[in-house]
Amino acid sequence: MKGRTRVLSLLDGRPLDRLPLMPITMMFAADQIGVPYGRYATDHRVLVRGQIETARRFDFDHVSAISDPCREAADLGAAIEYYPDQPPAVVESKALLGEARQLARLECPDPTSAPRMADRIAALSLLRQEVGGDLLIEGWVEGPCALAANLRGINALMLDVVDEPGFVRDLCAFCVELALLFARAQVEAGADLIGIGDAAASLVGPARYEELVFPEEQRLIEGIHALGARTRLHICGRTRRLLRQLARLGTDILDLDWMVPIEEARAACGPEQVLLGNIDPVALLRGGTPAGVREGLGDCHAAAGGRYIVGAGCEVVRDTPLPNLLAMVEYARAHGGRAGPGSHP
Amino acid sequence: MAVLEELREAVLTGDKDRAVEVTRLGLETSIDPQALIDDAMIPAMDEVGRRFEEEEYFVPELLLSARAMKAALELIRPLLADTGASSRGCIVIGTVKGDLHDIGKNLVSAMFEGAGFEVVDLGSDVSPEAFVAAAREKSADLVGLSALLTVTMPSMKSTIEALEAAGLRDRVKVLVGGAPLSTDYAVEIKADAYAPNATAAVRAAQELVGGRAPCR
Ligand code: B1M
Repeated sequence: MKGRTRVLSLLDGRPLDRLPLMPITMMFAADQIGVPYGRYATDHRVLVRGQIETARRFDFDHVSAISDPCREAADLGAAIEYYPDQPPAVVESKALLGEARQLARLECPDPTSAPRMADRIAALSLLRQEVGGDLLIEGWVEGPCALAANLRGINALMLDVVDEPGFVRDLCAFCVELALLFARAQVEAGADLIGIGDAAASLVGPARYEELVFPEEQRLIEGIHALGARTRLHICGRTRRLLRQLARLGTDILDLDWMVPIEEARAACGPEQVLLGNIDPVALLRGGTPAGVREGLGDCHAAAGGRYIVGAGCEVVRDTPLPNLLAMVEYARAHGGRAGPGSHP
Repeated sequence: MAVLEELREAVLTGDKDRAVEVTRLGLETSIDPQALIDDAMIPAMDEVGRRFEEEEYFVPELLLSARAMKAALELIRPLLADTGASSRGCIVIGTVKGDLHDIGKNLVSAMFEGAGFEVVDLGSDVSPEAFVAAAREKSADLVGLSALLTVTMPSMKSTIEALEAAGLRDRVKVLVGGAPLSTDYAVEIKADAYAPNATAAVRAAQELVGGRAPCR
């Protein structure tokens, strides 16, 4: 079974031969082809080579255009610092929305001609050309809270959620407008699925998440579905207290960070939700042993029951020992996937 | 008594205006300014930290409480300077080279100020050379290093080595913190202490250098 078919079979409830395998790789993929990360993040040809090479070496079921959280912010005019061998980063002290009222003047650029977004779109076209049909092709957008943090500065945004909720609501709505334009262009270029990264959402707590972030994440997911693509939502960090809300979002794949007990996610989301994850990428995948990785994944798998995809809680970090990653690959290969409902403890 | 309790409550709930008002009231009724810090603000921030650990509070609440505390401190600090009890020591703090995560570091920095230390915050992505230069220039008692990425933890080690090479290590204590760290790692890189959270960081700083001179 080809990787793309395998993942789509799971999502659509058709039989499949083994557990799908979809870990996030960025710096690890650049290291695999011996290219400094700065080039990987800024040249789609390098990213595509890194993704295809990594997916082939480790038998992944997907390739992804994820690289750094700054593509949308850069094209909106935010100050970005580029590093030779690290992901580009927003310069928070020069935040684009230093004054909240500057939001009124912000306009969505056309993703197909704005340089950093266009580079991701080009990556997806090239991926479709090279591995379309074989591997699932994943595009990527920043979620409303993450992009809002990039534009406003994360420290300021965390106070705004209390001081200026109306502004945060408007800002998140703007971010979703842009995300949907960007997602449309990525789907047209060849993405089967759009990943949504919304790291900052794990910091605000359940009440403010419900009020300010949830409605916009939901609108984004519905909008991507209307484009005919699937969604994978990944929120870095502690989202245990958000599980009841995450369950209602309707994302095709809920990709959980390692701090979240999968059994709680299964209980909150019910048997139909596809769960992905979530061994500790640092302590276990990078710092542990192959036996430990197998055991950790066994625990996740058992807790998730059916409708489960193998992966780590977050990005596979740089310098992860190959035998540990291979243990993850072997785990997926050795276990039959279940399209049917997950157990519901 | 009521003032202390109200100030504690105001900081705990992140109510900046109330914190300022109560502090002003307390100072008018000639409560010992140091007591406002030691018996109201610090216990409030301890409780804030506890609620954060328990996932009752989240980052916005942490930052609101820190902001309320800082606003109240603005009123108190000049008075402490008058009594000569102005600083408990000089701390240089930053997130290490290659690392841009600063929310936790900002909180720790605010808590140090709350506890009466003078703080020089170098920001994030700070090179070992910049730590050394600031420690020397300010005659720091303690250097606080924060790292959130496993890949930037070695920058802590190089910073400590740079302090050693500059001949400052016997004069400056080093405190390290950040989510991926542990006491074992702190021992391995020869730091003086590790703190898992902001209140523990204050306690560690008080033990290591409490009562020293202000920054130069
Ligand atoms: C001096 O003494 C002391 C004493 C105590 C000290 C101390 C110093 N410093 C901290 N403490 C302690 O006291 C504080 C209060 O109790 C605590 O501070 P903390 O900082 O732990 O806690 C804060 C109050 C709240 N926590 C945080 O602020 C961190 C939150 C999460 C979501 C996070 C965020 C927000 C961000 N990130 Co990043 N980010 C994640 C985080 C996941 C998570 N939820 O943990 C983490 C830390 N990030 C990670 C990664 C990998 C990355 N991030 C990156 C970028 C970012 C943003 C810029 C988007 C943003 C940071 C914005 C900013 N201005 O800080 C990238 C690196 C950029 C860089 N060069 O630094 C990037 C590499 C992702 C990428 N590929 O682009 C992971 C690190 C994994 C690892 N161990 O190596 C991560 C755990 C997410 C994950 N699940 O994998 C204690 O640790």
